[in-house]
Amino acid sequence: MLRFLPCRVFRVQYVFVLEQVLNGLLVGAYYLLIALGLSLIFALGGIVNLAHGGFYAIGAYLAVILTNRMGFFGALIASPVIVGCFGILIERFLFRRFYRSDPILSLLLTFGLAMVIEQGLRIVFGATPLPFSIPSELRGQLLVGDFIYPRYRLFIFGVALAAVAATWFIVYRTTFGRVVRAGVQNPDIVGSLGISLAPYMTAIAALGVGLAGLAGVLLAPIAGVHPAMGAEILTAAFVVVVIGGLGSFWGVIAAAALVGVVRGITIYFNPSWGEASMYLLMAVVLLVRPRGLLGERIEKFE
Amino acid sequence: MLNNRSPLIIVAVSLVALPFALDLVGLPLRSSIDVVAFAVACMGLNILVGNTGLVSFGHGAWFGLGAYAAALSQRYWFPGSITLPALFAIVFVAVSAVLSGALILRRRGVYFSLLTLALTALLFAISYRWTEFTGGESGLGSVTRATVLGVDLERDGNYYWVVAGVAMGVCFLLWRFHRSPVGSVLVAIRENEQRARFIGYPTNRYKLIGFVLSAAIVSVAGTLSVFNHRFASAEPLSVAFSGELIAMVVIGGMRSFLGPALGALFFILFREFLSMWTPHWLFYFGLLFIGFVVFSPTGLVGVGERLLAPIRKREITAAAMAGRKTADVLSLPPSLLRANENDLLALSARNLQKSFGGIHAVHDFDLSVRDKTLHALIGPNGAGKTTAFNVLSGLYAPDAGSVELEGISIAGLKPEDITRAGVGRSFQITNLFVGLSVEENIRLAIQARSHMRYATWRSTASLTDIQAETAELIRYLGLAGIETAEASSLSYGGQRVLDMGLALATQPRILLLDEPLAGLAVAERERIAKLIKAISSEIPILLVEHDIDRVFRIADHVTVMNDGAVLVDGSADDARNNDKVRAIYIGSGTAAVAMQPRAEFARSDQLLAVDRINTYYGKSHILNDVSFDVRKHEIIALLGRNGAGKSTLLKSLVGIARPEAGSIRLLDQETVGLPSAVIARRGIGYVPQGRGLFAGMTVADNLVLGRLKRTTGDGIHWSDERIVAIFPRLAERWDTPADYLSGGEQQMVAVARALAGNVQVLLLDEPFEGLSPVVTQELFEVFDRLRQEIALIIVDHHLDLALGLSDRTVVLERGAVTWNGVSTLLKDDLDLRRKVLWL
Repeated sequence: MLRFLPCRVFRVQYVFVLEQVLNGLLVGAYYLLIALGLSLIFALGGIVNLAHGGFYAIGAYLAVILTNRMGFFGALIASPVIVGCFGILIERFLFRRFYRSDPILSLLLTFGLAMVIEQGLRIVFGATPLPFSIPSELRGQLLVGDFIYPRYRLFIFGVALAAVAATWFIVYRTTFGRVVRAGVQNPDIVGSLGISLAPYMTAIAALGVGLAGLAGVLLAPIAGVHPAMGAEILTAAFVVVVIGGLGSFWGVIAAAALVGVVRGITIYFNPSWGEASMYLLMAVVLLVRPRGLLGERIEKFE
Repeated sequence: MLNNRSPLIIVAVSLVALPFALDLVGLPLRSSIDVVAFAVACMGLNILVGNTGLVSFGHGAWFGLGAYAAALSQRYWFPGSITLPALFAIVFVAVSAVLSGALILRRRGVYFSLLTLALTALLFAISYRWTEFTGGESGLGSVTRATVLGVDLERDGNYYWVVAGVAMGVCFLLWRFHRSPVGSVLVAIRENEQRARFIGYPTNRYKLIGFVLSAAIVSVAGTLSVFNHRFASAEPLSVAFSGELIAMVVIGGMRSFLGPALGALFFILFREFLSMWTPHWLFYFGLLFIGFVVFSPTGLVGVGERLLAPIRKREITAAAMAGRKTADVLSLPPSLLRANENDLLALSARNLQKSFGGIHAVHDFDLSVRDKTLHALIGPNGAGKTTAFNVLSGLYAPDAGSVELEGISIAGLKPEDITRAGVGRSFQITNLFVGLSVEENIRLAIQARSHMRYATWRSTASLTDIQAETAELIRYLGLAGIETAEASSLSYGGQRVLDMGLALATQPRILLLDEPLAGLAVAERERIAKLIKAISSEIPILLVEHDIDRVFRIADHVTVMNDGAVLVDGSADDARNNDKVRAIYIGSGTAAVAMQPRAEFARSDQLLAVDRINTYYGKSHILNDVSFDVRKHEIIALLGRNGAGKSTLLKSLVGIARPEAGSIRLLDQETVGLPSAVIARRGIGYVPQGRGLFAGMTVADNLVLGRLKRTTGDGIHWSDERIVAIFPRLAERWDTPADYLSGGEQQMVAVARALAGNVQVLLLDEPFEGLSPVVTQELFEVFDRLRQEIALIIVDHHLDLALGLSDRTVVLERGAVTWNGVSTLLKDDLDLRRKVLWL
C-alpha cells in the first residue's frame, strides 16, 4: 500500500492543477470575448472603447430582466442583440465624430461614456447586486474520470468558443469580413472600388459591443450583477489586448489563453495573487516584447 | 498666462477667499481643504495631460500611495509627527514613479494610457486585499495631525492655512517649472515628439522627469488629504477616482495653467450641491464630461476665453508673411558653425543596402559629401533616393554598409543621437511645432544644445544667450518681424524656411534637406535656393530635389540614382550632359513595342471634363488650375517630373483627394465633393501606384471586392471568364494570396479588379513600374485593346510606352498644365521632348 501512495498523491495534485488550468482557460475565454470586440473596433475605427465594460454590464442586466420573460436561453440570444443595437447608436452618434481626430479625445470620450453607463445602471437598478442564479438546466457537475467540473462553466466555455469561432468565420470567410479586413489595410482603395465603409464600421461596432453583451449574459450568474462589474473586467480585457497587441486577431486569442492559464496556475499555488499575476505578466511581456505578442505597429497610436 | 505673475496672484487671492466663500454656501472648512488638495492633484496631473499630451488614467494611484505612505509611516516609524511622514510619502512615491515610469513610458499614446490604467488597478487590488497592512476595505484610521512650530494642527482652521501654504508653494514651483527649459520641452513633445527627437532631445528622459514630478505633486495632494480626513483608504487607488481626476482636468481646461484647479473647484461644488438633490450626481457629471469632450475640449477655460474674446484686446498678428522684415542674405551666424579640423569627408556612405520585404530599395550605394559643398541627390520616381536619404539621416537603419560622419559611424543611431552627432535634417512634409510660435520653434532647437536644457527652475526667458542666438538665426532666415506668429499661420514657403531653420539651429556638421523647394512659388524658390547656396559655403549640404534645372544651376556635385543604385556621380555639368541621365528622364525613343503605329478610336464626345481644379495637401498647393478633357475611347498620357502632381491629379479624379476649387464632370455630372465610393460607382476605375492589392486575400477575393458594389452602370463590367481570357496567367493563381504573386501578376490583378465593376474611365498610376519586358508587352497590348471599350488616363515614367500608347498627352509641371497636345508630336520629336520634359 505504501508503495502506491506517492503515485496517487501525485495524480490528485495533477488533477487540481489541470482544474485550475481549465478554470484559467475559461476565464481567458470570456476575457477573449471582450478583448476581441475591443480589438475589432480599434482595428477598423481606431477607437479604444473604454466603455466596453459598460456594455458588458448592460448585457448582464438585460439578462436578468429578459430571463423573467423569455427564459435564460431566450435572454442569451436577445440580450447581445439589444446591446448590439446600442452599439449602432453609439457608433453613429459618437464614435463617428472622432475617427479622424486626436486618439486622446476618443479615449476621453469613451471613458466618460463608461462613467455614464455605470452611473446610469446604478440609477435604474440600484447599487446592490441583483440576484441571478444559474438556470436549472445547467446546474450540476460533469464527471470525467477523476475530473469534476461544473456544468455551467463548461457551457460558458462552449458558448464563448462558438462565438469566437463565429467571429472568426465572419471576419475571415465572408465577404463582409473581407471588406472589413480590406478597410483595415487601406480604406482609400476600398473607397475607390465603390465600397462605402461607413455601414461596415457601424456593423463592426455592433458586433464588438454585442460580444461584450454576450459575455455579460454568460457571466451574470457567476460574477454577480452590479453596476461596477464593467470596470472590473475591463482592466483584465485591456491587459489581454496590450499583451496580444491591439488590432491583432490571433494575438488577442493567444494572449487570452496565456493570461488565463497563468492566472489559473498562480491561483493554484497562492490564490490571493491571481489577479496580480496578470499585471505582472503584462509587465514581463512589455519588457521582452514591447509591441505585444503579435502586435502590429500602428504608428498613430504609439 | 505664464508670462507674468498674475496666476500666482490669482492663486493667492483664491486661497485666502476660498474658506469664506464656501462658508457662505454652507460648506465646512474640510471641504475647502478638499478643494485645495484636489486642485493640487489636478495641476500635478496636468503636467502630463495638458502639457505633454500623455493621458494617464491611473494618477489616483499616486494620490492613494501618498496617503498610505504618510499614514503608515506615521503609524510605524514617526508617531506623533506630521512633517516626516509627509516627506517620506513624497520620496516613496517619487521612487515608485521612477521605477514604474521607466517601464510604462516605453510605450506612447494609447498604450501608455492603458498601462496607467492597469497600474492603478493592480495597486488597488493589492491594497484592497492586503488587509493586515492597509486595512483593506475599512481603511486605516487614527491618523493624527501634530503640533508644528507651536501651532496645533488638529484645529481645522490652522490646518487649512498650512494646506494653503503648501498649495501656494506647489503652484510657485509649477509656475517656474512650466516656464523652464524642461517645461518647454514637454510642450514640444506634445506638439511633435518626432521632431523634438530630430532636434536632439532624448524625449523619453524628459517624459520621465515630467512623470515623476507629476506623481510627486499628486502624492503631496494625497498627503494633505489623508491628514485632512485622518483616514487612508484604497478608494483613491480605484480607477473611478483616477477618472474623476481626469474629468476635473478636462472640464477645467487642460491647456491652461489654472484650468485644472478650476475643474477641482467645480467638481467639489457640483458634488456638494447636486448630491443634495439627487444621489446620482456622478451620472450628470459624466454627461457633462462627455459634453465637454465633444463640444469644448479646452474645458471651462476655453469656454471663458471664447466668451471674453470680444472684450479682451488680442494682438492679431497679421497674415504672417506681411510682417516680415527681410534683409539681403546675411552671413551665417557663427554660433551655428562647427570646426571641421581634420578635413575629413563630411558624410560618407559605403555599400549601403536597404530592403523592404523583398524589394531592394537601395543597393551598393556609395556617396561622399565634401565639406563646404552643395551636393544634390536626384533621380526619377522609384530610384530609391528617399530611402537612401532616410538611411543617411537616421530614420532607418541600413541592412548593411556604413555611414560615417567625419569618420565616425552613425549607422543605426537613434534620432536624438544622430542629431547631436551633427546631422541636421529638414523634412519634406511640414514637420514643425505648428502650435508654437516661430521664435519658440527655433529657440527649442537651439536650447537642445545648451547645457541648460535640463534646468527646471530658471525661466527660458532668462537664458539670454539662447535668446540672442535665436534672434540672430531668425534674422538670417528672413523671418524677423513675425517671431510671435504661430507656425501654422505662416505661408507654405515660410514653413519650409522655418523647417530648414530648425535643422540649421542644431549646429550641424552636415545639413540634409529633403525637397526644400517642393510646392513653392517661383519667387520663393529663387530666394530659398540662394539661401541654400549661401549656407553651403560654410556648412556642407546634401539635398534631394526634383527641380532639376535649379539643381544643375546651384549644385557643386550631383549624384544621380536609378533603380536603387548610383547611376552617375560627378559635377553638375557631368550629370547634365550625360546621355544615360537624360535617357531616364526623357526616354530614349527606341522602345520597340511603342514604335508601331496604333489604331485610333478616339471620338469627339467628351467623357470627362476637368476644369481649373486646385488641390492642396495641408498648405501645399499641389494642383494649380488644372484643366483638360478626356473623350470617349481616348488614351491620355499624363506626364511630368516627380512632384508635379500627377498622382494627386488621379486621386482628385477618383475622389481620394478632394479639390478645393474647380469642377470635374463625368458624363456631364459633377463629381467634386462626392465621396470616392460614389465617384467610383459612377464609372471611374483606379489602379493605384503600388497596385494596392489587399494582402492576405486571394486573387478571387480581391476581384469579388472589386465587383461588390459596382455591378450597375453603363460602363464595362468584366466577368471572371473575361478576366481569365485576357490574363490567362491568373487562372492558376486564382486562389493564391495576392501578396505572393509576382509583380506582373499583381499588376494584372489590380487592373482586373478595377475593371470588374462599372468603368468608363480607367486611371492607371505607374502600371509598368518594376515589370519585366514580356509582361510590359502583354499589358501594353491589353491597354491598347481596352480603348475600344473605355477611355484611359495613364501616368508612367516609361515615356516611350506612355507616348506610344496614348492619343494625347498632358504635361504637368509643379501642379500646372504646361503642354497639352497630340502624343505623336512628343513621341517622334526628341527635341520637343527635351524642351517640354527636361530643362
